[in-house]
Amino acid sequence: MNDAPHPFETMMVVISRLVKNGEVAATGTLSPIPAGALYMAQLTHAPDLEMMVYGDPDIRITDGLHEFFGLAQRGLLDLFFLSGIQIDQRGNINLSVIGDYAKPKLRLPGGAGSNMISMMARRIILFTINHTAKLFVPKVDFINASSVDHSISWRRGTLSHVVTPMALMRYETDKEKIVLEASLPGTSAQKIQEHTGFDLGIEGREIPEIEHITDDELEILRGAVKQKLRRAYPLFCDMIWGK
Amino acid sequence: MKIRPDLKVMIDPYSGEEYVIVPPIVPDVAIIHAFRGDRFGNIITDSFRNDRLLAMAATKSIAVVEDLVDFDDVLPGRYGVFVSGVHIDAVVHAPRGAHPTACRDRYGIDTGHLMTYLEAAKSDDSFREYLERYIIGPDDHDAYLNLIDKGGIR
Repeated sequence: MNDAPHPFETMMVVISRLVKNGEVAATGTLSPIPAGALYMAQLTHAPDLEMMVYGDPDIRITDGLHEFFGLAQRGLLDLFFLSGIQIDQRGNINLSVIGDYAKPKLRLPGGAGSNMISMMARRIILFTINHTAKLFVPKVDFINASSVDHSISWRRGTLSHVVTPMALMRYETDKEKIVLEASLPGTSAQKIQEHTGFDLGIEGREIPEIEHITDDELEILRGAVKQKLRRAYPLFCDMIWGK
Repeated sequence: MKIRPDLKVMIDPYSGEEYVIVPPIVPDVAIIHAFRGDRFGNIITDSFRNDRLLAMAATKSIAVVEDLVDFDDVLPGRYGVFVSGVHIDAVVHAPRGAHPTACRDRYGIDTGHLMTYLEAAKSDDSFREYLERYIIGPDDHDAYLNLIDKGGIR
């Protein structure tokens, strides 16, 4: 019997299940959870996944993230992972400022290519390590990347899912909004809604809990995945699994 | 466009489509940390960065190298890429010169020192103290390394 999963372990498994076999996927900076999820997917249901984890010593590239961006621009990237300091119902993400742009309460490093990637990758999965109404807001203070923008006539892909320690949410392209798909263990749809600053469309719907994380999954995660992930993210691995 | 009124819209003469044209960033100086290099500026940098792009964008580029080697030994190895000396104006030999950040395959991040830095950066006074102790105070790079060794490096 294994110890109960750490919330970040649960997120890795949830994200890994969203990855499709045969996809070309990449992760950017500060993305240990998606990186772990890709390793997990490749070791389980997606052996033909082509994956590029930024920071993985087995990845040999020539030009840093610039190279991943080039792949996306040419339409060769199926799946990428982004996050935000704010995310809204329409799937806009903010990585630049909290408050007014000219007089911000908080100034952040910025979008760093997230807008181009969100337009040019086939699918985007958003991940955040906390789930609060301060993060999931009705409308972001600044849009770095959008999931829908009617002023632009063409885009290759858009937001697919959003994963947090509480929830698995999906983006409905026809309704152009994020809705709750499943809760993670230890919470409820009602609680998730209380921690979200916009309507998650739970009214009158039965929201299931995610499929149980099996002992086999935990074993792979704490074995081969941990071993691979440690090389790119040693401090993150120390934090959830110890030295 | 609202926050960047300097950006211009142009029609691409080939496709006929409309594009926003972003002006290039031209840094006065770029400082690049390299695994190794020769005295003419031929260097090997980390393949996870776009240092060649940076060197080509800047007016002046300075390479800081972990190892100063002969031209024949400027070879990329597993993690490196070659950047030609034509893009580099000066070379500084400084082993562990990336401290307190990491240099891949050489040394990791010095978390303790970074925390010290973050604390110090909170006010002008404490930052001045930091500069005095770690940057202005030490006579040279070796003296700096001696100083931080007392705090440990991972």
